[in-house]
Amino acid sequence: MSIAGFEVEVDRGGGLETEEMTLNMGPQHPSTHGVLRFVVKADGEVMRRAIPDVGYLHRSIEKISEKVGWHGFMPYTDRVDYVAAMFCNQGWGMVTEKLADIEVPKRGEYCRVIAAELNRISSHLLSIGTMILDIGAITPFFHAFREREKINDLLEELCGARLTYNYMRIGGVAWDLPPGYEESVLAFLSQLEPMLDEFNTLVSDNTLFRGRCAKVATISAEQAISYNLVGPNLRASGVRYDVRRDEPYSVYPELEFDVPIGLGMAGEVGDSFDRYWVRFVEIKESMKILRQCFRQIPAGPVVAKVPRKLKPQEGDAQIRIESARGDMSWYAVSDGSEFPYRCKVRTGSFAAMSIIEELSPGLMLADLVTVIASLDIVAPEVDR
Amino acid sequence: MATVLNQYVRNVFDTAAAVFEGMAVTCSHFVRTPSTIQYPDRTDVRVQDTLPYRYRGILEVDLEICTGCLACERACPIDCIVIDAKKDKATKQMMLNRFDIDIAKCMYCGLCSEPCPTGSIHHTPEFEGADYSLESMLRRFVKEPVAAYKPKKVEDDPKIAPILERGMKYLDEFAAAGDEIEAEAEA
Amino acid sequence: MLQEFIDSLIADGLFGGLPRDVAYLIGMLAAGALVVFGFVLNVAGITTFVERRVWARIQSRVGPNRVGPQGVLQWLADGLKLLMKEEAIPFAADARLFKLAPFIVTIGFITAFVAMPFSSALIVADLNLGILYITSMTSLVVVGIMVAGWASNNKWSLIGGIRAAAQIVSYEIPAALSIFTVILITGTLSMQSIIQQQSWLPWDWFIFHNPFTFIGFFVTFVALLAEGNRTPFDLPEAESELVAGFVTEYSGARYLFFFLVEWGNLYVISAILVTLFLGGWQVPMIPVITDSAFGLNLLQALTFVGKSYFGVILIMWIRATLPRIRVDQLMTTCWKYLLPISFANFMGTALWVLIWPDGFLPAELLMTALGFGLVGYFFYRVAYHLRRSGAQITLSPLS
Repeated sequence: MSIAGFEVEVDRGGGLETEEMTLNMGPQHPSTHGVLRFVVKADGEVMRRAIPDVGYLHRSIEKISEKVGWHGFMPYTDRVDYVAAMFCNQGWGMVTEKLADIEVPKRGEYCRVIAAELNRISSHLLSIGTMILDIGAITPFFHAFREREKINDLLEELCGARLTYNYMRIGGVAWDLPPGYEESVLAFLSQLEPMLDEFNTLVSDNTLFRGRCAKVATISAEQAISYNLVGPNLRASGVRYDVRRDEPYSVYPELEFDVPIGLGMAGEVGDSFDRYWVRFVEIKESMKILRQCFRQIPAGPVVAKVPRKLKPQEGDAQIRIESARGDMSWYAVSDGSEFPYRCKVRTGSFAAMSIIEELSPGLMLADLVTVIASLDIVAPEVDR
Repeated sequence: MATVLNQYVRNVFDTAAAVFEGMAVTCSHFVRTPSTIQYPDRTDVRVQDTLPYRYRGILEVDLEICTGCLACERACPIDCIVIDAKKDKATKQMMLNRFDIDIAKCMYCGLCSEPCPTGSIHHTPEFEGADYSLESMLRRFVKEPVAAYKPKKVEDDPKIAPILERGMKYLDEFAAAGDEIEAEAEA
Repeated sequence: MLQEFIDSLIADGLFGGLPRDVAYLIGMLAAGALVVFGFVLNVAGITTFVERRVWARIQSRVGPNRVGPQGVLQWLADGLKLLMKEEAIPFAADARLFKLAPFIVTIGFITAFVAMPFSSALIVADLNLGILYITSMTSLVVVGIMVAGWASNNKWSLIGGIRAAAQIVSYEIPAALSIFTVILITGTLSMQSIIQQQSWLPWDWFIFHNPFTFIGFFVTFVALLAEGNRTPFDLPEAESELVAGFVTEYSGARYLFFFLVEWGNLYVISAILVTLFLGGWQVPMIPVITDSAFGLNLLQALTFVGKSYFGVILIMWIRATLPRIRVDQLMTTCWKYLLPISFANFMGTALWVLIWPDGFLPAELLMTALGFGLVGYFFYRVAYHLRRSGAQITLSPLS
């Protein structure tokens, strides 16, 4: 039953005449991961075109930054990408630090990396869990969420919240690691490993799952670059690019990790399965990073002295970090006042959304949900 | 022909093997202990008591030790805290006429409890905030105007001392390095 | 059997001076109501509860456990809730067909129980066309689904209905061919005769009759799964693609009927498999219990329902394990894999019966050993996964 791509012949001349059908998928649809909308032009089960329609989750977060001040914007960044809020925290922290020339203490940087990598694992678990749910299997989703829940507990212990962390501050992090944190994280990591193996047996090696993902919506390296895909989506197409490695920030130069790329294990390089697999391997890489962090973390303060009324000098700054959904870029302009003059976030999901229209012709209707899930689109990150 | 047949048989076999293996994994879950808890009534301890110390639940204010410095009001990014503190000209004391927190607006970010000098405004582990009206979610802490707390070197009022002690401990632990809490826990 | 029973009642003067035909009609309706309300509805309802609990354990959850002890009354609460819900009929829907569809589906499902055996005596009518009757009656379901999909005037419903039609019609062929392999051996279509030709010993079951029926069992199983719209073939109501497929627009009691049929069908699928391949109600002759006709029938009914219910749990368990396949893969699976295999099985069994008309005991024993060996290896793998995960173990199914 491992079925490779099935050539669908659409009879265009003579024979039975078929009519194009316009389907409205979303904004309320079970597999649109939030509020997305697609206008699907379909010929029976075969899509001719799927046109994404964004904007249903626009909350003017960038504009809000101009009203709440440098410190006060931190909790709002949680809402940019609520699945991986640590990265947005870190991005805002880093861009402000660059503007105001603040140096983060070493321990603070390590705390940031620990929190961020935990968050990356949780985000990838959510991504692959929901992908399998969209493909139709229910159990692996719960297994992934069970493990994610444990990370939520760990992050709750660290910063007091499960989703909107608001853990980082300009100049470091809000709180040091709680007592016994290393032990509980390492214990979690050691029990996550057999779970991932089990997940492999249940999902990755399953021929039905591979059949659904293999050769579906293959993105070539050129296509990925020209559509500005970032993060796991780009790496799945065989481009070994990771901001953590290529433009290192924070303490990443001191840490050793691999950058996994798509290998075409199920069919072609850059298909849906590769995107799933890259995320899966990245979980393991994050575990490696976490273990190193706890070995190397120095003692010391976790946050630099930052005035409560922060007034960075006039100018602008831009930083890039590798979020769970890829290269996330933060840009801020200061006019020397208490409030940012302008803030701009560039996220990975928006670019991923734009490629769907290009990928859709010829795919089956059922493949559309696979594609959305495999590109790991988080709706609030698209609109902000 | 032979290779085609070979591939055919292998496809069938692979699928059967994958299903077999997957079923074995799910079957092993039949005897595993469920990992969910039965909130709210069938847990051994109240869920609120199992939350970590840093948990950011519904805000609470200890008026006895509130200095009326307005640091929390300024720190709040969404203006859900409204304080009306005036200096009484007769007694030369800071009087708190109003201290409202709109829990419906609050996003539990914790920015208000950080600048508080006495730990008066703090998060509790309470999270069950469901209510029938927006009005009742507005927590009014000042029932009638009270004098704000004036910090002293050593607190000697037996009524206020334990509250202040709790507040300072909250401040310490909330931002303290890990080993300090550990030492306290051991002691 | 029913006829003799009613005759005896007439002889007792229970029906007074009513004409014989009217007495028959009343008796048949009463028997039908007994089967429907006493068994079919309950089985479908309880199955939904059991499914939720089975899934919950597989997914590290507890499942519904609040309504009644351990939540056993959950299905009643669900049914009651659905009955009290407002029924919305879309403005643009074909109202008459829309209202009719759930009943077509339900008729197709409930009439299948007419020829469904429970014990050697307990069967509404032992039709001599038994299995053929059941397969044709369950095919009626597809008409109802098509009508539902069409009448809803909703594109998702329509796609669901079309998918269902394509799927059920396709999979009927391998299912029928595999069922015929058993009929080649028995030479009869009657459900009771098929069971009577097996015994309680596993190697007398038709699944272990020869290698072809062994494969045929799995082919039938897969094909019937597809006919019952169960994962991995639940395309007609794929919730992540089609919202809810053909039931998208349904609500209230009409939705309940679709619900009922889907879960009740699990029992029908398993009962067909148990009858054809797994020895039906055959029990060992234990003199103490089986001396009385009542004891014998009770034991047989328990055996049959127990075996069938194991099948039901197996189907739930498959649904909890596998992802859904795509439409093109669905067709490839049917036409490229199941159909040739079932043809080969058919020919193979025909040859086998030609050579050994009365069965070939060494082969039967070998197949039985193979079957139990597979089950043993399966549990070895289960133990391996348990060990590897290092999870805590709770054997009790209660929470």
